[in-house]
Amino acid sequence: MDNDSCGPSDAEIVCQVVAGSLNAFEQLLKKYQNHVLRILKKRLPYDQVKDTAQDVFIRAYQSLPTFKGDSSFEQWLSTIAVRACYDFWRKHSKSREFPMSFFTEKHQVWLEEALSDQSSQSFHERGLQKEAREILDWALERLSAEDRMVLEMVYLEGHSVKKAACLLGWSTANVKVRSFRSRKKLHKLLSKPLKHRRRET
Amino acid sequence: MSFSKREQEKLKSILRQAYQEKEKRRIDELSQDDLMHRLRQFGTIQPNPQFLTVFEEFIWQLAPVTSLLILALTGILLVLDLASGYDVFHLLMNGTEEFTWSQMFGV
Repeated sequence: MDNDSCGPSDAEIVCQVVAGSLNAFEQLLKKYQNHVLRILKKRLPYDQVKDTAQDVFIRAYQSLPTFKGDSSFEQWLSTIAVRACYDFWRKHSKSREFPMSFFTEKHQVWLEEALSDQSSQSFHERGLQKEAREILDWALERLSAEDRMVLEMVYLEGHSVKKAACLLGWSTANVKVRSFRSRKKLHKLLSKPLKHRRRET
Repeated sequence: MSFSKREQEKLKSILRQAYQEKEKRRIDELSQDDLMHRLRQFGTIQPNPQFLTVFEEFIWQLAPVTSLLILALTGILLVLDLASGYDVFHLLMNGTEEFTWSQMFGV
């Protein structure tokens, strides 16, 4: 999502906004709203995406004077979006205002079959995305906001530790340690119900 | 029970696919008019303030506390009995040759 060759660059638009031309911000909004929505859709509950996206652009607008242009505007905005997600889950983990999902017998059976399946058939072909999403949501809900963010970025999205650290504003060592621990927690969470099931059968 | 290496890889692949699926959820575009309206309520943004401006604001924030402290200390000084202190000072200044520690403590 680089600057359009014909229009003004992002840095020029930022300068215009900081100089007082608020309408210029609309160009950035149009250009990057899909990028922000993409980041938020993966990390937040469906009904929270739009509100949080608005908050991201408001935060970005208010923080524009701090944009130095060391990195691209897209990357700078991504950082704000990722941190908004982190703030959301931190707040959510304290208030627990959303209902927790359940790991049912159906999920246990599905996970066991999926793991023991020798074929390389993807679950797209088997039409079982729903169960996988439910299991993933169940597991992520049980992790702390910090573990959740790191797990999503490194384990699920495949970002490098360095990039995750940059987006979250944490040290590389912190992300590395958290990444290892959160993966262990995830495995423990998912293996526990299977252990009971295997014992019973 | 922990997952075997093969199971871990399989699990990773399943969860990654499920995670990527979330991105495909359809969400309406943001209402730009609403957002721009909200931004207009904030007004134009101020550039980063200079160090001296921030420092000056900080100093003025401390002014009420400092004034209260001065008033309190003045009150304490007025209430304290300074006469005995003055006597000791007088002894020290006028009669140093005859002055002894026993005299000072009134023994």
